[in-house]
Amino acid sequence: MEIEDDEILQGFIEESLEHLADIENDLLAIEEAGANIDEDLVNKVFRAAHSIKGGAGFMGLTAIQGLSHSTENVLGMIRSKKLIPTPEIVNVLLMASDQLQRMIEDVHNSNDVDISSHINPLDAIADGTFSQPPMEPEQKNTVQAKPKVTVKPEAVEPVFEEPEETEEEYIEEPETDEDEETEPEPEPEVTRTQNPVPEPVAPVQPPAVNVPATAAKQAPPAKTETSLRVHVSLLDSLMNLAGELVLSRNQLLQTIGSDDLRNAEAVGQRIDLITSELQEAIMLTRMQPIGNVFNKFPRVVRDLAKKLNKTIDLTIVGKDVELDKTIIESINDPLTHLVRNSVDHGIEMPADRKKIGKPENGLVILKAYHEAGQVVIEISDDGKGLDGEALAASAVNKGLITAEQAQAMSDKEKVNLIFLPGFSTAAAVTDVSGRGVGMDVVKTNLDQLGGNVDIISEKGNGTTISIKLPLTLAIIPCQIIETGGERYAIPQVNLEELLRIPANQVKDRVERVGDAEVVRLRGTLLPLIRLSDVIGADRTYYDYNEQDVKEDRREQIADRRGRNSPLFNDKHSGNNHRNQSPDRPRSVIDRRSSASSALNIVVVSTGAMKYGLIVDRLQDSEEIVIKPLGRHLQQCKGYAGATIMGDGRIALILDVSNLARMAHLTSIDGSDRAAEVAKAAEDAINAKKDKQSLLIFKNSREEHFGVPLNQVERIEKIKRSDIEDLGGRRIMKYRGGSLSLICVDDVAMVAPLADDENLLVIVFNIAKRPVGLLAIGPIDALEVTADIDDTTLSQPGIMGSIIIDNNTTMLINVFEMVQNLFPQWFEHQEKFDLSQIEETGPPPTVLIAEDSKFFRNQVKNYMTEVGYNVIEAEDGLEGWNQLEEHADEISLLVTDIEMPNMNGFELTQRIRKNERYKNLPIIALTTLASAEDVERGKAVGVNEYHIKLDKERLMVSVHDYIKRRY
Amino acid sequence: MTDKHMADQPKNIVELATFYIGDALCGMDILKVQEINKLMQMTKVPQAPDYVLGILNLRGQIVTILDLGRKLGLGETDISQDPRNIIVNSSGGHVGLLVRRISDVVSADMKKRERAPANMSGIQGEYFTGVYKTDDNLIGILDVDKVLSIED
Repeated sequence: MEIEDDEILQGFIEESLEHLADIENDLLAIEEAGANIDEDLVNKVFRAAHSIKGGAGFMGLTAIQGLSHSTENVLGMIRSKKLIPTPEIVNVLLMASDQLQRMIEDVHNSNDVDISSHINPLDAIADGTFSQPPMEPEQKNTVQAKPKVTVKPEAVEPVFEEPEETEEEYIEEPETDEDEETEPEPEPEVTRTQNPVPEPVAPVQPPAVNVPATAAKQAPPAKTETSLRVHVSLLDSLMNLAGELVLSRNQLLQTIGSDDLRNAEAVGQRIDLITSELQEAIMLTRMQPIGNVFNKFPRVVRDLAKKLNKTIDLTIVGKDVELDKTIIESINDPLTHLVRNSVDHGIEMPADRKKIGKPENGLVILKAYHEAGQVVIEISDDGKGLDGEALAASAVNKGLITAEQAQAMSDKEKVNLIFLPGFSTAAAVTDVSGRGVGMDVVKTNLDQLGGNVDIISEKGNGTTISIKLPLTLAIIPCQIIETGGERYAIPQVNLEELLRIPANQVKDRVERVGDAEVVRLRGTLLPLIRLSDVIGADRTYYDYNEQDVKEDRREQIADRRGRNSPLFNDKHSGNNHRNQSPDRPRSVIDRRSSASSALNIVVVSTGAMKYGLIVDRLQDSEEIVIKPLGRHLQQCKGYAGATIMGDGRIALILDVSNLARMAHLTSIDGSDRAAEVAKAAEDAINAKKDKQSLLIFKNSREEHFGVPLNQVERIEKIKRSDIEDLGGRRIMKYRGGSLSLICVDDVAMVAPLADDENLLVIVFNIAKRPVGLLAIGPIDALEVTADIDDTTLSQPGIMGSIIIDNNTTMLINVFEMVQNLFPQWFEHQEKFDLSQIEETGPPPTVLIAEDSKFFRNQVKNYMTEVGYNVIEAEDGLEGWNQLEEHADEISLLVTDIEMPNMNGFELTQRIRKNERYKNLPIIALTTLASAEDVERGKAVGVNEYHIKLDKERLMVSVHDYIKRRY
Repeated sequence: MTDKHMADQPKNIVELATFYIGDALCGMDILKVQEINKLMQMTKVPQAPDYVLGILNLRGQIVTILDLGRKLGLGETDISQDPRNIIVNSSGGHVGLLVRRISDVVSADMKKRERAPANMSGIQGEYFTGVYKTDDNLIGILDVDKVLSIED
């Protein structure tokens, strides 16, 4: 069919489509009202149908004219209340309007479409002969058969043209319904959108057999509109601004000619202002209310609910929220998918709902709102929710993750498994959990929009999926970073925080697990990726002193810097030089300590997972305009595009989720790694048996001293002149009071304090008072194994010696020193009075289980000093035996945690399980009381935790328990 | 537009912009050339194919610069020798072709075009739609679409 005037035709199409969009929702409202006919509403629909009929007649579109005429007839009868709009009648009307829409979208072939299947029931309604609801699938099907044949071959796939058919078969093939949306698509659209399908299945494949869900999900994005309605006032202001811009340009040309600098500045500012306004106004023209997408959901939900025999209320909130046109268009399919999921799999059958005390009507809420410069869309239902365990089990069954990985996952991670590519095929998941049709594709689509998806689900209480989207794709705030001498932009939506690890902390905070590097960040482990390695840029660092980018020479330092770790093996790097370096474990831990070797880490998140990107340098955050990369660079997956910076040069925009993929990092890997790390940490603790952290210092040049680090409060640098000699005591001003100063040589027979100008004061807190120990550097903190010799060099103030780096180091007993020098400090301390107890019998007995002789002796001394009897045990097992032997005498157990044969936890567990001893107080001693240890200890029944050699606290609690015992 | 198509035209004089890739004198329809630039400051794109030299900002357009020498298997074009960028507008946006040197514009009668040899100064014949003989030179007529294609 030839239609002469394209412009008029285009106008007709646009107008008609608008009418049809309204008709749909209005028809639903009419259905809802039932016999309570709202005349205005019916009138509106009637007029819309009438306009279409009129236009179609004028254009010679007979089929459209005929169908709209029949529709109009029925509506006319409803309007005059000759007909009550039952759901069946409305259904027929809806389908007719669907058919109209299809024909109008493919106007040139519309006259060849057989519309009798719609006209017949419509006319039957009008004639009053419409008895049997034509909605019956059987009938529909037969009627439908004809048009399938007659539709012109240009149509995408005639089978899909018939929503009725897919609807009818919906239960078996939930995905076919999806294709309803795709049907008006011209062919090229279909093929295009096929590309991102992980398991590509041609969407045109007949729906008869198992079409994997992903294929359906692949529904091409809504047809891109080529025209847009913009308010005239907006256009006026655009016009205005453009005029201003032209004026300013003229001014600029003038000032350039006249060499008038000041004027040029003013013009520059003016242009700046106008440009910003212009940009804003243009952005506004692209903004559209999300209602354009939301409005179709009442119908989708209604149809689907009907098919599934569920009753579902849909609440829509925030239709007015505006988003960029491109986002509106692309959000359509993911949203449809999610809503259908909620209706199909989320909401239970009415009977089931009743059983568990929920209202029979399911509720689906579609909500859009602004939050922190982004738009959030939430799809929530009050259905059965997601079962993380079932999802994890299913993922394990499918071989996507291992059982160990599943175990290490948090609930949230488990729920997020639904996004794993290859996770979901409708059938398999429905068996287990009833969810997850092609969710990975939803996520991929949203990722492409710069959005984030998050699932909050509680088993039995429904699911909320929240999608965060940028307002616009055109201009985005970005963090600019530098690596390899080039700048890159990281979209702010992906940015969690910026982290700088000073060179001297790198060693402590960055750890290696397997092939991966992780950083400890507030108690969690964050996988690290070095940007230069992933994209294959030169490894460089930024020298802050010289303000210059230098090549990172570390790879030439032979021992640890092999470039080829499996994690960073990147097939995309065309640069072959990387493969030449030997496959050696590499590590971030390195030897340099200048400021330049601090690690700059950008912590980015891609929805479910977070990781750290190591970059050379952090720069400003800027608003950037995204420009696409040419097709030669499409294969570079690490970039989302490019942007032009203020200086005219280009910066690439990083795609953080693809970077993670390129580094073979998935959230599964993340948790996998976390599990490994946890294990490694546990091993480390085991290996750490009886390690003691010591602060090493000197008193004279020759002698080395050490003191348990956990006793040290702080260290001050002072000048000798700060020390005051008053009343035979050395003191100094410290925090508004005076601090008593002592020297090792005050008590012990050691060489006197060196005569240095610069001194150190190590502050301890003894008997609730601060006391400063004078010392000289160098000081160092290190961990030593407790191979402590407590006899050779033992003397007052010195509890033993240990060999560190071939130097015999004397361990200071600060407590003893203070007791020696200031006995009066302890006079007021509450003393435990053993006399009462002694009257009634022998002194209480304390069992000490500790494998290190040194610590055992120390603790024993504390106890015997105040009069307790002590029974010693060298390990947990011996401790148990002693307990059995002396059960009646022992009032308290002091135990180490790490011991051979039976550790402290096991010992405690055994005691607590035994009826005889279960009330025995147990105090555990550790070198490092980590929170986990304390937790675990508490769980097995340890009463209290103390740090080894913290005599005061230990004794206070020992007294306490003994007192309670008597 | 293919050359065959052009050959069917009664008048088939085509202006060829000619340039050197390595030692080969090549030409392309001047109507396909948007402009010719000196090499400007570029941004490297790690991960890109080796014949992609980088991207640059051409008045707000991002232009991918391809080193024709590399792309056609002649090795890297010497940047120090003041090479030129021929900016062409291809289907996938603007692309810059880095060539060693720009030469004259030659009016060529497409009827006199001959089949390209299998190899011309080291460049495979498949990149040419034909050769054109002038009095003192042999110009290989580049198949721009082929040159810009992305082989997997």
